[in-house]
Amino acid sequence: MMTYIVFILSTVFVVSFVSFSSKPSPIYGGFGFNVAGGIGCGIVLNFGGSFLGLMVFLIYLGGMLVVFGYTTAMATEPYPEAWTSNKAVLAMFITGVLAELLTACYILKEDEVEVVFKFNGAGDWVIYDTGDSGFFSEEAMGIAALYSYGTWLVVVTGWSLLIGVLVIMEVTRGN
Amino acid sequence: MNPPIFIIIMLTVISGTMIVVTTSHWLLVWIGFEMNLLAIIPILMKKYNPRAMEAATKYFLTQAAASMILMMWIIINLLHSGQWTVLKDLNPMASIMMTTALAMKLGLAPFHFWVPEVTQGISMSSGLILLTWQKIAPLSILYQISSTINPNLILTMSILSVMIGGWGGLNQTQLRKIMAYSSIAHMGWMTAIMMYSPTMMILNLTIYIIMTLTTFMLFMHNSTTTTASLSQTWNKTPLITSLILVLMMSLGGLPPLSGFIPKWMIIQELTKNELIMMPTLLAMTALLNLYFYMRLTYTTALTMFPSNNSMKMKWRFECTKKMTFLPPLVVMSTMLLPLAPMLSILD
Repeated sequence: MMTYIVFILSTVFVVSFVSFSSKPSPIYGGFGFNVAGGIGCGIVLNFGGSFLGLMVFLIYLGGMLVVFGYTTAMATEPYPEAWTSNKAVLAMFITGVLAELLTACYILKEDEVEVVFKFNGAGDWVIYDTGDSGFFSEEAMGIAALYSYGTWLVVVTGWSLLIGVLVIMEVTRGN
Repeated sequence: MNPPIFIIIMLTVISGTMIVVTTSHWLLVWIGFEMNLLAIIPILMKKYNPRAMEAATKYFLTQAAASMILMMWIIINLLHSGQWTVLKDLNPMASIMMTTALAMKLGLAPFHFWVPEVTQGISMSSGLILLTWQKIAPLSILYQISSTINPNLILTMSILSVMIGGWGGLNQTQLRKIMAYSSIAHMGWMTAIMMYSPTMMILNLTIYIIMTLTTFMLFMHNSTTTTASLSQTWNKTPLITSLILVLMMSLGGLPPLSGFIPKWMIIQELTKNELIMMPTLLAMTALLNLYFYMRLTYTTALTMFPSNNSMKMKWRFECTKKMTFLPPLVVMSTMLLPLAPMLSILD
């Protein structure tokens, strides 16, 4: 199973995206969001990015999604819609899950699949230890490069985050 | 809006576009587009009515979807070429989809449906920024990938845009919607020439921005948003009446005004590349555009539109709006044709 772990995690990732894309109430959607975040962390971990995967848990799930959860709790409605509450949400959910399962079965059955790029069945999702990255992990070197050579990128992303907050406040200010 | 916040937000809109225009890394292109989008949302929502909120939401959704498509194909291009540099040799499939994503951002047909509705829902000055500044970033990326764009795709989109810009604007009385359809048609002209001579696209963009800027400023001068209220400008500011006449003729692409320069150059470049039907079709459908500009001219400057007698006798107050740079802009939008021989420096 460990050879196909990335493939399995990707499939469950898509299913959890379907679970909040079928638009239940935000409380239930938030649950799907959390699961998706955790699985995304797992996928990143499997590619060797241990620091970034745990950053996903810490900052994304533990920071941003917690704030999302609190604001959703403040804006809650008396009769929230779950996935089986009305037929539209259920139909969308079933459609999404069915599409994903059919895609997964197609990938597993056929030897070679070409959707946008060719890959050989599920075997291409396996991470072999190709290439000699030396004693340092590439991911940690990438983060180090961000804070040394990539100062401009830090400035741009930091400014974008600040602007995100200012824009949200300006939009919700009203009057 | 609170002045310091307004300054910061305008700064971000400008720097977002500048990042897209000047960068050589695909990730920064996407970041620049997102910065631009995020910061322009409060500008679109300057007035807090539901119409403006709806327009800002529509703009956000379409542009965010386009950015997502662009990002996906940036990553697939990375998969095939192994590097992040914005070069001219893209994977062909990535080039097609990136062109589609950028066409969604520009408002080219068949992705033009958001342009009239968003432009109508926002204030005149926000519409000005939307139709002029926001076109610079996507067109700069199209300029950079122009040698690998699929001809069938881009020429289809451009002919469709000119046609839809012409026919769509015919039944409009709201000035912002007229300007939106005018923008769709001009984008069609710009993308038609992009594959053959990207420099002419820049020329068209420059002259289009100058003309649209002037038009919006003249509309803002009297706070007119409909044809009916524009038809009363002879009473409020007679000078604007004659300026609207000249400007509409320039927008329609009539010689001897500057609006003729891009059309002339584009038709010349297209015929040099042995396309005959295409510039014929473009020129003929541009006449539809000219028809509704003529209608505006007719009601504004050439006839006295029906109104009550009390509307024919108004006090003439001095305009308190700060119309920076308007006289030079009017001159540039109408009198640049004699300078057209300077384009020979391009050879």
